[in-house]
Amino acid sequence: MKLGIVVQRYGPDINGGAELHARFVAEHLARHHEVEVLTTCARDYVSWKNELESGLTSVNGVPVRRFRVRRERDPDDFGRRSTRVFERRHSVADELGWLESEGPSSPELIRHIRSHAPSFDYFVFFSYRYHHAYHGARAAYSKAVLVPTAERDPAVGISLFGPVFRGVRAIMYNSLEERALITGIANNERVPSAVVGVGSEVPSRTDPQRFRRKFRIDGPFAVYIGRVDENKGCRELFEYFERYAAAHPNGLMLVLIGGAVMPVPAHPRVRHLGFVPDEDKFDALTAADLLIMPSYFESLSMVVLEAWALGRPVLVNGRCDVLRGQVVRSGAGLYYDTYEDFVETLYALEASGPLNGPLGRNGLAYYSRHYDWPVVEGKYLTMLDRLRQEEAAGLGRDTLEPLPGWLARRRAILPPARQIVEAQPAGPVLRDPAARPDDESRHWAQRAPEPRAATPHPPVARGAPPGTQFAPRRGRRPRRRPS
Amino acid sequence: MGDLTVRSDSVDVEQIMRQIRARIREKRGIDYTEEEIRQLASVKLEKFLEPGSIRSDLLQEFQRRQPPEPPPSINYSFEEDTIFASHRSLIRWLRGLFRPLLKLLFNPGPIVHVLNQQSRMNAQFEARLFELERKRGELYFELMHNLVLELTKLGIEVKNLKMRVESLSSRLDFDERRARALEGVVQYKPGVDAAQSLPSAGPGQEPEGHEERRRRRRRRRRRGGAPGESGSAAGTGGAPAPAPEGAENPAHQPPADPAEAGPEDDQDR
Repeated sequence: MKLGIVVQRYGPDINGGAELHARFVAEHLARHHEVEVLTTCARDYVSWKNELESGLTSVNGVPVRRFRVRRERDPDDFGRRSTRVFERRHSVADELGWLESEGPSSPELIRHIRSHAPSFDYFVFFSYRYHHAYHGARAAYSKAVLVPTAERDPAVGISLFGPVFRGVRAIMYNSLEERALITGIANNERVPSAVVGVGSEVPSRTDPQRFRRKFRIDGPFAVYIGRVDENKGCRELFEYFERYAAAHPNGLMLVLIGGAVMPVPAHPRVRHLGFVPDEDKFDALTAADLLIMPSYFESLSMVVLEAWALGRPVLVNGRCDVLRGQVVRSGAGLYYDTYEDFVETLYALEASGPLNGPLGRNGLAYYSRHYDWPVVEGKYLTMLDRLRQEEAAGLGRDTLEPLPGWLARRRAILPPARQIVEAQPAGPVLRDPAARPDDESRHWAQRAPEPRAATPHPPVARGAPPGTQFAPRRGRRPRRRPS
Repeated sequence: MGDLTVRSDSVDVEQIMRQIRARIREKRGIDYTEEEIRQLASVKLEKFLEPGSIRSDLLQEFQRRQPPEPPPSINYSFEEDTIFASHRSLIRWLRGLFRPLLKLLFNPGPIVHVLNQQSRMNAQFEARLFELERKRGELYFELMHNLVLELTKLGIEVKNLKMRVESLSSRLDFDERRARALEGVVQYKPGVDAAQSLPSAGPGQEPEGHEERRRRRRRRRRRGGAPGESGSAAGTGGAPAPAPEGAENPAHQPPADPAEAGPEDDQDR
């Protein structure tokens, strides 16, 4: 079987969430099938500037074919178009303009997918919101498997994406919350899907003392790994931690790992280490009492999975449905909505606290059950086999909803995308109705499309599988700042 | 509300969060949301001036913005020629021409003099009044300035004290909970403590004294054994030795090492 992995950026040093996800999946599927990665020459996800050579190359043994991006992103133009489609009544033409402005626009890549589609069995498209995934999936919809990596932001409410969500052959979701959101908006229950996520390359041996010696860190600490960014909830984290540090002089330190795009407070108990090698990152996770993930928007946090893989509990932002749902289902962490929650949960998760041990063990078990590579690979392989069997039985997809005509595209009749997303029930999915109590990972391949509940219990998502339970959300959800 | 305890790995995170929030409510008294608390805090803070933003030249700044110019005068000026003045030159010339005739008919001199004096008195009173107002304004402002400054200082002091109280109560709570957690670990090791505290107490040795005997009796009672249960040891008049006691019922001997306490005990920390 020949597979094409289509992603906006690709490279050994490109560590964006979806890009890393795509690389891991490509490298692991390459052990079972012939895999070729189709991507752009961009390295920077803001400008999409062509920085890498076009043509065929190889990354970790996987062939990678790069195509040039036609034009760089104009942030002002993108900002204006985003405001129009997210906040105002608009037209299909506005949405197409927004997609073009967002990029990375590479007509060469789309032409290649269209012309070479017969030589591939399936294409796996990553990140629904970008130009390559939308136009690529339309060009080869009968062979398209989509990994949406969708977050609860207004982009998912753009009407252009509905036909793609309904028209691809299969969707590999990162979380139950993502599935509930997309199913609610696009009404695509009949599309075969699985909640997969991604594994992690956790080393077999880590040395917490090595980390402590190298960075001269004594005493217990909580670690945050990722971009230090307001969009990641770091401002709130700093505010809460400073108050916590003032009230608890003998409490934890906060260690930050990752580049900073916002000022880090100069506080004696906050250490910012910047970028560190993977070895140090995993050592830090092992040395830490817990991992804090303050982000409001995540489709899947790989660093949370890595913490669980190393037996560390996590403390997440309760306003992120995905993270809250994961900690509730796994029993491997706590969440906070307010400062008081933050302090109490931090105390409970300290290494000397009452919950650190049990929650850490739960994390390890949850990771092994759902996100270990054999499990993830198995889900992909079984899905591909299933699609092939359906094709052999003549059940393949043969149509995709066309775009409206020239005149209809220009009629401003579409509601603001934010309004569509906000109309969807929010909150984490506390229990997957399709999962067996002992093993929720096995349900996915056998899950048949289920009829919608006649009288769904509020707040159940429109189109969400019946029985899906959403927890009520406390507090106000912050709006994402345009990046 | 007690401390968080987890008896097994079947953790219900939502239940733990409910416990945590119940404890927060208990500590806080009223269940304000974070938004409400922030709103309350901002309302309080708005009422106080930041001491850093209060400048020493505030009075001068106030005077600069409101310059001490006299208000437009409503006084009149009255001179000798005022009653014969006119902006029309012809009338002015005619009045001047007939002025001797008018003076022949009546004497305007005293009237002009009185009105002239009155005008000067008005101007003097006006100036004195304005000066008084200015001085009073300065006095009021200085007074208000000092009041605001003192109030701000007091407000900040109160806030700092509140934070200190909050900090102390948090620390106290933290230490209490930690102490309880540690007690929970230690209470499984009474045998070890007893053995360590009585290294020389053997069956044939004399007790150290009356107080020591009382302590041992109390310890035995806490473990559940009556004084008479040790039988022969009591009968021989010697203090019951810890080692034979432990040997009596090894099944009830708690593990000396916390690691031997089993996974559930470990989770109860």
